[in-house]
Amino acid sequence: MIIGAGVVGCAIARELSRYQAKVCVLERESDLGCGQTGANNGVVHPGIDPPPGTLKARLNVAGNAAFPRLCRELGVPFRRTGLLAVVTDPEEAMLLPLSKLRAEANGVKAEVVEGEDLRRLEPALGPGAYGALWAPDAGITCPFRLTQALARTAARNGVVFELETEVAGMLVGRGRVRGVRTTRGDYLARWVVNCAGVDADLVAGMAGPPEFTIHPRKGEIVVFDRGGPAVGRVLGVLSLKGDPHSKGGGINPAVDGNLLVGPGAREVADRRDTAVSADGIRKVLDKFTRLVPALARATPIAAFAGLRAATYREDFIVRPSAHMDNLLHVAGIQSPGLAASPAIAAMALGQLADMGFSAPSRPDAVVAPPPRLFRELDPAEQTQAAAADPGHRRVVCRCETVTESDVVAALRDPVPATTLEAVKRRTRAGMGRCQGAFCGPRVATLIARERGIPLWEVTRAGPGSWLYAGPTRR
Amino acid sequence: MGGHPGGPGIVAVRGAHATMSGEVDVCVVGSGPAGLAAAAAARRAGAGRVVVVDRETSPGGILPQCIHDGFGLEEFGEAFTGPEYAERAAGDAACVGVEFWQGTTALALGPGPELVLVGGSGRQVLRPRTVVVATGCRERTRGNILLPGTRPAGVFTAGTAQRLINVMGVLPGRRAVVMGSGDVGLIVARRLHLEGCEVEGVYEILTRPGGLVRNVVQCLHDHGIPLHLGHTVVEVHGDRRLEGVTVAAVDADGRVRQGTRRRVPCDTLITSLGLIPELEILRGLTDGTVDESMRTGLERVFLCGNAAFVHDTVDCVTACGRLAGRAAARHAAGLRWPRRVARVEAGEGVRQVVPGALSELAEAARFHLRLDVEGFDVEVQARARDRPLARWRLRAVSPTQAVALTAGPARLERLRQDRTLAFVARPGKEEAGGRIHRR
Repeated sequence: MIIGAGVVGCAIARELSRYQAKVCVLERESDLGCGQTGANNGVVHPGIDPPPGTLKARLNVAGNAAFPRLCRELGVPFRRTGLLAVVTDPEEAMLLPLSKLRAEANGVKAEVVEGEDLRRLEPALGPGAYGALWAPDAGITCPFRLTQALARTAARNGVVFELETEVAGMLVGRGRVRGVRTTRGDYLARWVVNCAGVDADLVAGMAGPPEFTIHPRKGEIVVFDRGGPAVGRVLGVLSLKGDPHSKGGGINPAVDGNLLVGPGAREVADRRDTAVSADGIRKVLDKFTRLVPALARATPIAAFAGLRAATYREDFIVRPSAHMDNLLHVAGIQSPGLAASPAIAAMALGQLADMGFSAPSRPDAVVAPPPRLFRELDPAEQTQAAAADPGHRRVVCRCETVTESDVVAALRDPVPATTLEAVKRRTRAGMGRCQGAFCGPRVATLIARERGIPLWEVTRAGPGSWLYAGPTRR
Repeated sequence: MGGHPGGPGIVAVRGAHATMSGEVDVCVVGSGPAGLAAAAAARRAGAGRVVVVDRETSPGGILPQCIHDGFGLEEFGEAFTGPEYAERAAGDAACVGVEFWQGTTALALGPGPELVLVGGSGRQVLRPRTVVVATGCRERTRGNILLPGTRPAGVFTAGTAQRLINVMGVLPGRRAVVMGSGDVGLIVARRLHLEGCEVEGVYEILTRPGGLVRNVVQCLHDHGIPLHLGHTVVEVHGDRRLEGVTVAAVDADGRVRQGTRRRVPCDTLITSLGLIPELEILRGLTDGTVDESMRTGLERVFLCGNAAFVHDTVDCVTACGRLAGRAAARHAAGLRWPRRVARVEAGEGVRQVVPGALSELAEAARFHLRLDVEGFDVEVQARARDRPLARWRLRAVSPTQAVALTAGPARLERLRQDRTLAFVARPGKEEAGGRIHRR
């Protein structure tokens, strides 16, 4: 039993689906990856930041190394862009050799670049960039596509995903978790993995005395339209003045061509508080426009905020519960959790084995990459697809070139999209420059048709998020 | 639909387009009023095969969702609703032999020109002699202005809300706040009100309404909907569905005045924040600058309608499309593509001027301007460096209304004396409240 269908929960589900075991994933929201995963900028960090010796450092480096193969296998976009951690103040130049030492202690390739070399690596950098630490192993991926591909593969191998199912308590007895009490009934389980992200401490607390605490730390990301400044690398800032608890965000290209700027970092009290603040946006834009001045003329198309699940020790927790023999905590997974996720899943399986879990491997395990989207096809393949399938001739989202068949495929996925946001995460319909003004009602119509419900029962992101009040008077 | 012989009913049948191929003289992208006018004008000017491609299943662009009237006063001398105007324009185009490829999306444009289309019978590359881009506008969204707050359901652009109500028969919500007072926002406020959705108020960041006076009167005053000038929405609340917005008074620079924040409970926010010309198909090829005949910087590609300049009325859009269509027909017949001989810029007091260039073939031109100046008796000059080349006197102008200036052969001869000319506007008479708006 896995609690939480973020990228970590889905990666563990996928690993477990290689074995002949009954696996179930419980998720409070209506879709996969609605928490930290959904508010992630897609950077696969190289591992130059975490302090040497930490679990974070080890899993980051191992996870990064696993990415190219994993993404190829699952049909998920991944590109090694490299990362430049830039120093803008000559007085802070001594940070460069220090950071290089830390990177090398983590086993990460890194070198100091300055002047011409720096401009050649990233022509978009402004005159303020003094020098940088260059980590060629950094990359970018699409967190939604990765999570979807992991879940889809798991589901095809028999894993059950229970969405809109919130954990309300644990059924415990004699030092073991017997089952999980949810808003949709009780589930019995022999093994429980807590991947509840920002609520992982609350879930842990349902099984016994507090073992750790999670402090939600908010960050805003601003999305810019394609066709803005051409930034080819992941850019970060190295500074003594920054927040010690965050790498401080940056500027990064997304696999789909948009530019993402942020996130900042500040502690918040409310675990649901993903409101974007004017102050948060201003701070990230001020900070990073100094790095890439052309940003000042770029067009923003959206801003969103996410909460990182920070722990007091700022390290990942992948260990059995101190109180329950069959409960594994996978908690405190904040950045670079995406990069580390393949290694976290592998470690979690090792822990489960140590705890006594064993099952024969599944000889017929399959890999089930999501169907390729129309926009991902080359011209000849597009011609073929459009000839074979009338649904690929109807473009639903013009900004991102998403066809009706792309949307329908998402609605009929083994872990089906049921809401407007879920379709958006899986197909990008509504993620473009018009932010769904054109495609929103069209996608909603397809959802209503596929699910056989009236249009006004379609939601944006699950119960309570109704889109339309009802029919008009005539 | 009415009884026009060539109305969209017939057009839709032709839209089955079994033959999405062959030689095409003029391919128009977009079947809104600009595209329809361009296509009809191209046929009338002698073009052979003229095709309109459009992603919707029936022609008209945004018109079918505009069920209010007031369309076509200049074109037809009477007031039509949007659907009626679309029917007229589509019928006219069909009568002169324009082909309609509805349900077809133009994915990409390339030099040649060539167009990648998907729809009808599949995906194909078309190589027409000329292309007219008439793709209209999209709406500025809350994301474009980085409006802070949560991201719940219940935030719609005015155009989306209009489509929901008028085309899809769906009510967006029960209690709405409207942000921005452009014409679409005002018209949608009235539609919501008439459909039983309470409209708490319209909030306009500027100290004047963004839309036409007649719309402020007919859409708001007549229905008792309050208009709050110098106010805007500063934050969005609600986790799942919109629960409310915070509104505040703002100063001339858009900064919130202290102590004026007020939370307004509502389940719907309608944003009417302005229109952005939809030029994505030209991206990487050329910018949106056109010459006096709506030629772009890309050979044998034209741009017209609201994609070239956001016009005040559909009549202006139609005229603009006609201009492009006539020229497209001439170039399809072999007329050489001209050089540009002058650049036209917006100077002091002028926000935007179209065309932004004059070609060597220019004999006359109609300039469309948005001014930052208001008042009576305003002088607009076209200047070459420090020398006025031409002057126009305008009786009354305002920043919310576009201005059209005509330059006949004599004036244009003078304008073409210099490589670069700038339009400038001087504020009107002081006693009439004339001043320059600095933004």
